[in-house]
Amino acid sequence: MRHTRHHLPHFLMILPFLLLFGAFFLYPILSGFYYSFHDWNGVREPVYVGLENYTKLLGSRDFSRAMWNLFQYIAITVPLGLTVAFGLALLVDSFTGRWANFFRNAYFLPVVLPAFLAATIWRWIYAPNFGLLNMMLGWIGAEPVSFLNDTDTMLYALIAVDVWVSAGFNMVIILAGLKNIPADLYEAARLDGASKLQQVIHITLPMLAPVMFFVLTYSVISAMQVFDKPWLLTGSSFSEYGGRRGALLFPVMDMMGRAFGGVQFGLASAYGFLLTLAIILVTALLYALRSWSNRR
Amino acid sequence: MAFLEIKSLCKSFEAYPVLQDIDLSIEKGEFVVFVGPSGCGKSTLLRMITGLETPTSGTIAIEDTVINDVDPAKRGTAMVFQSYALYPHMTVFENISFGLRMAHQPKALIRERVEKAAAILRLEKLLDRKPGQLSGGQKQRVAIGRAIVREPRVFLFDEPLSNLDAELRVQMRAELLELHERLGTTMIYVTHDQVEAMTLADKMVVMMGGKVQQYGRPLDLYDDPDNKFVAGFVGSPKMNFLSARVVTAGPEGLRVDLAAGGAASVPLAAMLAPGARVDLGLRPEQLSVVAAGQSLPADAVTVTGRVALIEDLGAESYLHLHLADDSRIGVRTVRHAAHLGDEVRVAAPASAVLVFDDAGTRLRGRA
Amino acid sequence: MISPLSLAPRLSVWIVLKWAIALLIAVITIFPIWWMVNVVFSLPGEPVSINPRLWPTSLSAGLDKIEMIFTQTGYLRAYGISLAYALLTILGVLFIGSLAAFEFALFDFPAKRLIFGIVMLSLMVPTAVTIIPTYLLTSELGWLNSMQGLVVPGLASAFGLFMLVQFMRAIPPDMIEAARLDGAGHFQIYWHVALPLCRNALITLAILTFMQTWGNYMWPLIITTSPEMYTVGQVVGLFNAPLSHQTVDVVMTANLLAAVPPLLFFLIFQRKIVEGIAMSGTKG
Repeated sequence: MRHTRHHLPHFLMILPFLLLFGAFFLYPILSGFYYSFHDWNGVREPVYVGLENYTKLLGSRDFSRAMWNLFQYIAITVPLGLTVAFGLALLVDSFTGRWANFFRNAYFLPVVLPAFLAATIWRWIYAPNFGLLNMMLGWIGAEPVSFLNDTDTMLYALIAVDVWVSAGFNMVIILAGLKNIPADLYEAARLDGASKLQQVIHITLPMLAPVMFFVLTYSVISAMQVFDKPWLLTGSSFSEYGGRRGALLFPVMDMMGRAFGGVQFGLASAYGFLLTLAIILVTALLYALRSWSNRR
Repeated sequence: MAFLEIKSLCKSFEAYPVLQDIDLSIEKGEFVVFVGPSGCGKSTLLRMITGLETPTSGTIAIEDTVINDVDPAKRGTAMVFQSYALYPHMTVFENISFGLRMAHQPKALIRERVEKAAAILRLEKLLDRKPGQLSGGQKQRVAIGRAIVREPRVFLFDEPLSNLDAELRVQMRAELLELHERLGTTMIYVTHDQVEAMTLADKMVVMMGGKVQQYGRPLDLYDDPDNKFVAGFVGSPKMNFLSARVVTAGPEGLRVDLAAGGAASVPLAAMLAPGARVDLGLRPEQLSVVAAGQSLPADAVTVTGRVALIEDLGAESYLHLHLADDSRIGVRTVRHAAHLGDEVRVAAPASAVLVFDDAGTRLRGRA
Repeated sequence: MISPLSLAPRLSVWIVLKWAIALLIAVITIFPIWWMVNVVFSLPGEPVSINPRLWPTSLSAGLDKIEMIFTQTGYLRAYGISLAYALLTILGVLFIGSLAAFEFALFDFPAKRLIFGIVMLSLMVPTAVTIIPTYLLTSELGWLNSMQGLVVPGLASAFGLFMLVQFMRAIPPDMIEAARLDGAGHFQIYWHVALPLCRNALITLAILTFMQTWGNYMWPLIITTSPEMYTVGQVVGLFNAPLSHQTVDVVMTANLLAAVPPLLFFLIFQRKIVEGIAMSGTKG
């Protein structure tokens, strides 16, 4: 290339980043792909097994359980979380000055906490005998509930924690989107006789659509990778994880468990790729939905 | 009572007074323009009529009913915003019909009203477009359409043309006048551009510092201003003010010494003390260049200055003269009347002079 | 900035309701943390019926517990590990990211679009895919259970690059030209012109990176195998485990201490944090 010397400084500057990116992102993806077709326990040589890892997983009971839990989890937590975040954003937007800042910060606080902390707090809230919720149930004379151990309630307990943490995060993004809507659109609507509800439906929501789409996609992608909260809430370890009868077993947790508990790295890599495939499919679906609704 | 009556209206934001004691009577069908420099309170006044702001004290009444506490959508007013405030995600049809749809009016009625408005504003072919696909003038018309469709008693315009380029502005002004002719509805229009005000208004309300400076027909404000502010604000190019000191004043007339040199006699009977400072107002078109050797009537007011700038506009030229007291005046004349740097003498009939006292109040009274 | 909810000043029912709901939710989000503080600063063993832990009751008891944890357990060490992990990551991400962002934002070179595109695509790839092979690579490099193992894999942050590129794009090209005419070399332009101009972005990125590494659980969990290298998160996990035989208030103290740095950061820098997150949403 004639201009090599020209471009050399540029490449030198991006070299550190590229090296690290190549080493710790590109290489792992490729090697993960390679290992997913092998049986490997980290000690002896990897043995080529073709698609066996994938078929084993797809037929495994735990895999189905994890996927089913994931589906239920996302189906509830994403819409619920977004609705709460949207409501909070509208609420905070209606205040001004110091109070607006106070409420915004208060609602954002759970996001700031490290995950292990949020888990600790909620394990106390959910504790069977002296936890806050059961104490409150006691005041109204209801039976105590073992939120984190009763397979009927565990998923919902997890969802509550997730909404408590994520609502503030999404709220902040939605709030920025709200502030981008020009005030005189609301004034014109008010003069046109639109009620507050009509203003939200006809102005706020349509103009917020791109932001909501971003938040939706981001929420779904991160929900599909849920790990920290169920792991900590059930006090899991690599030998025993997922809570009672696997009620809080999720794909990433299962993958990690097989990797570091069962020491089956090939299987775990295959798991990772299956999950990635699912994520890509869902994201593509969301984008397709969006183009379809834009064309309408 | 008049059609729209504003009595003793005051507005303060926290402790800061924005409007003080506004009294206005507007007749049905009039095109009234609120005009004044930025910050004079004209937009606030307009917004109080629509209901987007509430008065601190005083009343606003339309057709004998006080509307201070009436919901903005129910006052029978409609507003066209400076930024048009069109809903970007709705088509032109949906924008115009928004108010009617929110009120759950029947579809047939909505269609009929929108089509009628679209016909008046020549928007029929654009009904399916979105605001992003429209030009500035088209957006303006959609905003007007949205107001028309509400069939209001009063149209309110908040500096609607200030976002358009000069040529388009002139065209839209003509269209607005036509619209007013056609609909006959009372219109209240806010602008900072006094040329726009002069061309559009049946009546002009000149505002400054939160107060009404003068209210009347444009030419009346032009010929007979109440104070120095109105005199200097209305009319382009601006009126000239010659600073002077009273020599004698009485029922037989006023004699002054001009700060720029010389003396003048004005047929004004006023109570002024000798030595009091006054301003003599003369419009550029009232002054003419005195040719060498030309004789002047005895009562002419004259002053001499050096030509600092010449503006040749084709049909006419303006000379900017630098006077002895370091002030400047403008004179309307013809081409080649003078050269840069010339000492030029200009004159005007004394009867054309307007006199203002030191506080800016116009002094009236024929001598 | 006027939301539909605020254009109804006359309807006082709405105002009362709005404030009630807003305050109630604020209680829900703040109370758990407040409760934690109260448990720490109260006498151990006091039954909940006497002291329901609604406000702190004993400053000295709390301080005792804090002192105990710092001196008698490996907590202080874990604090040090977490701090080192966070600081080193911040330094690395900021330096390496800004070097690259400088190039991508302001200059052209072959394959620039392609490379940038691939890096941005990586934002869409879930960590699930890469974490295990990255672990295996780290292990092969002999970096298991070490600070390098903790820090280095996380340094090529695509999110950080994205954010810095956005900010650097706003630097007027004229300024770069002027610096070049003044004789500045390439790296000098980066160091003396570009970096100072995007100070805000660097600070925001530093804060966000801090919050992310302090709370990072999954990676340290698999990388650190011996207790000397445990991060705060893992040590707290030890306290939380049923086998720890610690009383509730001691456990809470451990948790609370872990929460202090991010909370402090948040209280001081809340505007920057919120803006940083909000910006990623409106540009994303």
